[in-house]
This record gives sequence, C-alpha cells and structure tokens, in this order.
Amino acid sequence: MSYALYRHGGPGLRLATYAGLALFVVWSAAPVVWLVLSSLLQQKALIARPPDLSPQNLTLDNFIIVVGSAAALGRGILNSLVVALFSTAVALALGAPAAYALARLSVPRADAIAFLVLATQMLPSIAIAIPLFLVISRLGLIDNVLTLGVVYLSFNLPIVIWILRGFFLGIPAGLEKAAAIDGAGVLRTFWHIVLPISIPPLGAAAVFAFVEAWNEFFFALILTRQSAQTVPLVIAAFAGQYQTVFGQMMAAALISVVPVIVLAIVFRDWIVRGFADGMMKG
Amino acid sequence: MTSVPHRAEPNRSVPAIELRRVAKSFGTVQVCRDVDLAIRQGEFVTLLGPSGCGKTTTLNMVAGLEDCTDGDILLAGRRVNELSPVERDVAMVFQNYALYPHMTVAENIGFTLRMRRVPRAEIEARVAAIAASLELSHVLGRLPAQLSGGQQQRVAIGRALVREPRIFLFDEPFSNLDAALRVKMRAEVKQLHQRLGVTSLFVTHDQEEAMSISDRIAVMNRGRVEQFGTPEEIYARPATRYVASFIGSPQIELMSGVVEVRDGRPTVPLGSARLTLPEEAGVRPGQRVEVGVRPEHVRLGGESLSATVRLVQPVGPATHVVLDWDGGSLTTTLPGFSRLRPGETVTAGIDPRDVLVFDQETGLRL
Amino acid sequence: MASTATFEQRRRYAGLFLVAPAILVLVAILGYPIVESLMLALHKVQLSAGAIQRSFIGLGNFERLLADETFRRAALNTLYFSVAEVVLVVVLSFAIALLLNHPLGRPGLFRILLVVPWAIAPVANAVLWKWILNANYGVLNGLLQALGVIDTYQVWLGTPASALNFLLLVDVWKSVPFVALLLLAGLQRVPSILYRAAYMDGASRFQAFRHVTLPSMRGAIAIAVVLQTIWSLRVFDLVFVLTRGGPADATVLMNFLAYRVTFNFLDIGYGAAIANVIFILTLLLAILYIRLVRPAEGAAR
Repeated sequence: MSYALYRHGGPGLRLATYAGLALFVVWSAAPVVWLVLSSLLQQKALIARPPDLSPQNLTLDNFIIVVGSAAALGRGILNSLVVALFSTAVALALGAPAAYALARLSVPRADAIAFLVLATQMLPSIAIAIPLFLVISRLGLIDNVLTLGVVYLSFNLPIVIWILRGFFLGIPAGLEKAAAIDGAGVLRTFWHIVLPISIPPLGAAAVFAFVEAWNEFFFALILTRQSAQTVPLVIAAFAGQYQTVFGQMMAAALISVVPVIVLAIVFRDWIVRGFADGMMKG
Repeated sequence: MTSVPHRAEPNRSVPAIELRRVAKSFGTVQVCRDVDLAIRQGEFVTLLGPSGCGKTTTLNMVAGLEDCTDGDILLAGRRVNELSPVERDVAMVFQNYALYPHMTVAENIGFTLRMRRVPRAEIEARVAAIAASLELSHVLGRLPAQLSGGQQQRVAIGRALVREPRIFLFDEPFSNLDAALRVKMRAEVKQLHQRLGVTSLFVTHDQEEAMSISDRIAVMNRGRVEQFGTPEEIYARPATRYVASFIGSPQIELMSGVVEVRDGRPTVPLGSARLTLPEEAGVRPGQRVEVGVRPEHVRLGGESLSATVRLVQPVGPATHVVLDWDGGSLTTTLPGFSRLRPGETVTAGIDPRDVLVFDQETGLRL
Repeated sequence: MASTATFEQRRRYAGLFLVAPAILVLVAILGYPIVESLMLALHKVQLSAGAIQRSFIGLGNFERLLADETFRRAALNTLYFSVAEVVLVVVLSFAIALLLNHPLGRPGLFRILLVVPWAIAPVANAVLWKWILNANYGVLNGLLQALGVIDTYQVWLGTPASALNFLLLVDVWKSVPFVALLLLAGLQRVPSILYRAAYMDGASRFQAFRHVTLPSMRGAIAIAVVLQTIWSLRVFDLVFVLTRGGPADATVLMNFLAYRVTFNFLDIGYGAAIANVIFILTLLLAILYIRLVRPAEGAAR
C-alpha cells in the first residue's frame, strides 16, 4: 500500500467519506434551503400537504410585503446596524491595545488578567441582566440603542481581546526589537508595525464581534421597549404576530440573517484561523 | 536630539563599548554574571557560546532592549544603563532579519529615519544611496517576502547602515542561512567592517564564523566570559578546558590522567602510551590533570603511541581519522584523501609543545 | 527625549496604559452587576408602585430553590439537555471534522456550509425551525409522511418529551459547525510526519487513528466539551421563541426559568438566586477550561 493510498484510504473509505460528506451537506444545507424556498413560495403552496414546490408558485411577494409593510423590520435593521457597528468599533479600539499589552508588554500578571477577561465572556447573560436592568431603568436609559451597544461590550471586548491576544503572542519578538532600535516607541511600534501585520485577525475579531452583536437577543429583550428594538426582537415578535403567514415570516428571517451570513462566508478563513486557533491556544 | 546622528571624532583611548561587572537575572535565574568587556573603537568583537550562555542577553543589554540587573554599560565612556535603544545610537541586525513584512525594501530601510522625523526628500536620498551601495536599487519597491535570502540580509544591513550609527550589533544574523550563503554573507559583513570601521559586536554560536570574522572573541559559558582574546589566542592558548573544547573542529580530544615524572620531564600515562607535557605547564607529580590534543597536532608515524584505525572520514581537503588504543582515542587530521582502512595499526606522535594541560578540578589551563 | 526610562520600563508603563481602558470598561459594565446580582440573591425584593423594596433574607432564596418543584424540573431539564447536547455535538463535530480533514473534504464549499449555521441568529434559527416543525404545515411532517415514517402529522413541540428533544435537535444543528471548526483546527495541527512514521511502523489506518489522531486530539476534544457545556447552559432564545418553556414546563431550562421568575413573576431576588446557580456552574466550567488550555499553551511555547 503506498503512502498516498494509506493516507487517503482505499475505495471503501472513499465511498464512506463521500456518503458522510453527502449526509453532512444535507444536514447543514437542508434547513437553510427550506428557509430560502419558503420565503419564495406563495402561502397556498406552503400550506398544501405536502408543500407544493412547483415553479409557478414561486413569488417575490413575501419580500415585497415584508419590506413594504413592516416598518419595524427596517428600523430593527437600522438599530442592529448601529448597535453592532458601535460595539464592534469600540471593542476593537479598546480591545486591540489591551490584547497587545497582555500578549507582549510586561504587564504584571498578564496571564491572570487575560483569563479573567475570557471568563467574563463565558458569563451567562442572566447573571448580570437583573442588576443591569435595574440600574439602566433607574438611569432612564432603557430602550436606547447606545445603551445596548455599551452593554454588548461586555462580551465583545473579551472576544476581541482573546482573538487578538492569540495572534499577538505569535509575532516574532525581533520585529518589536527592530522597531525599538529604529527609534519607534511602544505606541508607534504598535501603530506602524503590529497593527498593519494584524489585518486578518483584526478582521476576524471584527466580523466575530459584529455577528455576536447583530444576533444578540437576551439583552435586547430586557433593555429595549420599542424604538431601540433590534432585528432579532423584530423577528421574534413577527413570528408571534404573523405565525400563520409562513412565507412572510421566512422572508423577514432571511432578510435579517443575510448580512451576517454574507460576512461569515466572505471572511470564513479569517474566522476559522482567528477564533478556532485562539480558543485552542489560550 | 538631532535628526542625523552627529559623530564626534572618536577618542581612541576610550572604549567604544565597555561592560563593567554586568549581571542579568530573571527572578532567581541568573543569565549573566560579572561580564567585563572593553571593546575598542572600530573593533569587531564576537560573543561566542552555546545557546543559553547569555550572549544574546548581553547583546540586548548593550542595545538597551533589556535592562541589566547589576553593573554598568558605557558607550564611548558614557554610562547608558537607563537610556532607551534610540538614545544609545546603536544599529542592530537581527536573527531572521526581522524585516517589516508589510513594508517595501525602501520603507524598511527608511523607517528609522521616518521615526526620527527626517524630511521625506532626505529619506529618499539616503535610502537610495544605501541601496546603491548594497546593490538593492532594483528591489526597492519589493516586499521582503519577494527577496532572496541574501537580499534580505542586505536589506537588514542597509536598515542598520542608513542611520550611520556609532555601533553595529549583530544577533546571529546568519543562523538560518544555508551553509554556502552563510560563508558568503560572512565575507560581505567583514568587508563592510573593513570599509566603514564601525565598532561591531556580533553574536554567534558558530565557532568557525566567530574565528573568521572577528578581531577579538569573547567566549561565554553559563553567563560568564571565559576568555576574551584574538582568534589565535583563543585557539592556541585557551584559558580553560571549556574554551579549548568549544573552539576547533573536529573537537580537541581531552583525556584525564595523573602526572608522573619520567626522565626529568612531566608525563601522563594513558594506557600503554605516555604523553609528555610541555615544561612550562608547571605541574607537579601526582596532580590530576586533563590533557588536550588537537587533531592537527597528531602526526602519524611518531612514537608516542601505537593505535588501531577505527574510523576514516574524508571531508575533501582533509581526512579525519579516529584512532583507538588501550588508553583512549584520538582524532588526527591528514591532508587530502587517506588510504588508511579501519583495523589498520599505525603509530602516532605528539609534540609536547602542542599538548594543552588543564587542571582537573578548576578547568584552568596550566 | 528627556525621559530616562529604559526599554523594559517603557514597555511596562505603556502596557498598563494600553490595557487599562479595556479593563476599566469591563469592570464598569460587569463589576457592579456581578456584585449586585450576588446581593440581590440574598434579599427578598418586591416591586410595589414602581419602587423596589428589599429585605435581607440571607440564604432564604437558595433554601427556596431546594423545595421548588419547578426549579428541580428546570435543573433536570438542563442536565439532560446539556449532557445530551455535549455528547451529540462533540461526536457529530468530530465526525464532520474528520470528513473535512480528508482530502475529499477540502473544497471550500464545505467550510461555507459550516459557517452558515453559525452565523444565523439563534432567534432566526428558532423561527425557521418553528416553521419546519409546524404541526399542520411543517415540512418535517410532510417529508416524514411522504417517506412513510409517520401516518399523520405530529405535534412535535406539543408533547413534553418530544418538545425537549426537538429543542435539543435544533440547538445541536446550530452548535455543531463551530465545534467542528474548532476540532478541524485541532486535526490540522497534528503533524503529518506522525502519520508518516505510523505508516513506516506498519500501523493500520485504524491504529494510526487510535494511536496518533486520538491522543493528539485529546486536549482539543476536552476543550470542546467544556466550551459546549458552557454554551449549552446559556441557551435562551430558542426556548423563548419555540416553546416558552411549555408544554407543561417540559422545556424550561434554568436560564429561561431565571428570566421568567425575574421578568414575568417579578420575583427579583429569587430570580437572582437562580441566575447565581448558573453563574457558579459556569465559573467552575470556565476554571476547568483554563486548566485545560494552559498545558497546551506551555507545550506550544
């Protein structure tokens, strides 16, 4: 048996692999395919038993109605965009320097701090939600987009710090020493050398933070009422309200997930490298 | 501080770099201790030693990249312990070069001037001049990843040169090059030094590299300087057993024994053979010593001992032959290719003047 | 440049300067709520006419937990849910990671399929599955009937046991991709020279898997188990959208119970006590995670 055959397996293993991959594709894709299909089908086709998938039932009406009638969805998307962009930008602005300091600069007890930061990311939201809710209502900041953006820092800041710290740990020490010899101080080294070579992990951290903020539901549920409602709340309410208008429900859901899915697909390699590696390396 | 380092006429009597009882420890681990070195203006000095001997730490302390925990560092007579690297006016070439991967060659070389707020036009002019002298003009727009190993090396040197520094530091710059390129780069650096005469401190673990490039070598071991001298002194008159065994390839052969006086001369019996020691060693009978013999000092056909050939290793210009006898084994270096075969019996001779004698306990040469 | 700080000192000062803002923000957002949450759990908190009245009752809320039938139910549901989810997710993810690590599984399409379920918002995911599992028109019913598995349409979310299991299925579907990515990263870190050595040593493919792959993956799998346990304890959106805890509290998980007690029943002190139980469980798991990651870190350096 050649080594190539040994590594890749004979016909039996190949067949099993093909079968496994096919199962995997069906398992992962089927619900998403059904999401897209449902959003494109007329109500009468959807409530047929079994659903009638004939092409003449395809329509864009669901999207037209959802976009045209549900002002809440538009506002929700706008709110989500503001919240996600705000919390991602602030998390990067504060988190990147912190991650650099924890990874490379001799901050006392840097490892302990880093692990504490990570532990906060694992906090169940409910554990802090109650006092947070009480304080924020006392301050009259309920139903405020920026309030939500700040609260989201509680998980986005740790995510950003953790992803970037993993990367910064791997930067060759020679680069920083060379910069020091060349006359750059710590801040200029960070700005001119470290950040420019960290674009992929910065991108991964940004995408990750954005997706987490865009999708967050629990804090949004307890900290917003109406004007600051984000997309997940709108979708949840929509599903409660129009739960029999399936096509429109799916159209709304699809609209809400498309931005992050596109981001995730475009930046998938960065996400995999940035986050999966970061979680393993510590 | 002015943008262009101003170079005063160096005072020849003041050492360019001086270390006085410098020590460095991380917690309880002592990396360097009592390092004393005085390097003259324009001298090329190498810190040589195995990994972990403290040579890179010493270099970093001179550069200002690490603080020393004790002692003083003086550059041109001025104490610089508390100064940052930029204030010390030193340039450095790093292991693997540490070129900025996102900057072009021109940006890499010019970065240090940019950090010193040199006007853009002047940066361009100086970078162009340096690039021309290093034959890098045609690659100025490329990224480091698009360069050959030799070109990267020259960019790293250009980055150091453009500053016109008083001192050059080299941190194992050739350690990841292949053998041929390493020898070529070594020659380039030596020629550069001969041309510019800038005081240089070079770190390596490669004894041959150190021998070939240096005016003087400081051999380090476990955080201390064991010997500081010219290549010839280090090779021919090693201060310690450690230095003797670190320098030279194949390694010096060390054998321990007890001194006996025969015919009025100090000797050491080794099995059936008897090695005569040099008079000036000043040993006394009964003293436990180690004797060292370098391969090129073992002559075939002498009458010091009779031995069996164990191993014949031709390397081209010479052949290394390992000989066994009942008192131990020795390596001899013969010119060209040898016709000796394993199992043959030969006799060998060693001139007493070529035998190095070390005290068994202290390791110091006698 | 009058400063006399050395390189190392400057790096230390700059480090503190760079790390401080992030830490201050985190402490500002989290410090008070964490402490206050512990305090609330020790109080009886009543809302009357918009004002909050608290009276200290020590561990009273926690004593109440022990006797509370609903809490016991929620704890058992959570235990079942978490254990089942961890086992399913890790096993499926490992299988998928192995598939995608095989040369046949390299095409980028497969990785796209992994990030899509990860990116879908849990709420959108729940809404989607609510439709898939719909009792009258759901595609699952249609599919299973067409295949002859069921005779009549089933109310999947209507019976206690099946409701919890479907909740599980939906969350497994959503959680698998990320853990698979994690394990795939681990698989790709196994040095290929080890497989070459195993081949030279005459190990069968299964032996190579048993003696090279599995030992190398032990750390990654352990990390995946701990992280997935933490994530399982956080599930909320799914319950909220799909079942609201029903039927008959069959899908009430501890997280949801804490929410319901606090925000629906306005029993704030008691809700905080439940939240603290989850908090402590998570904290223990986080410590375990850190223990697992650290040796890996030491070996990497």
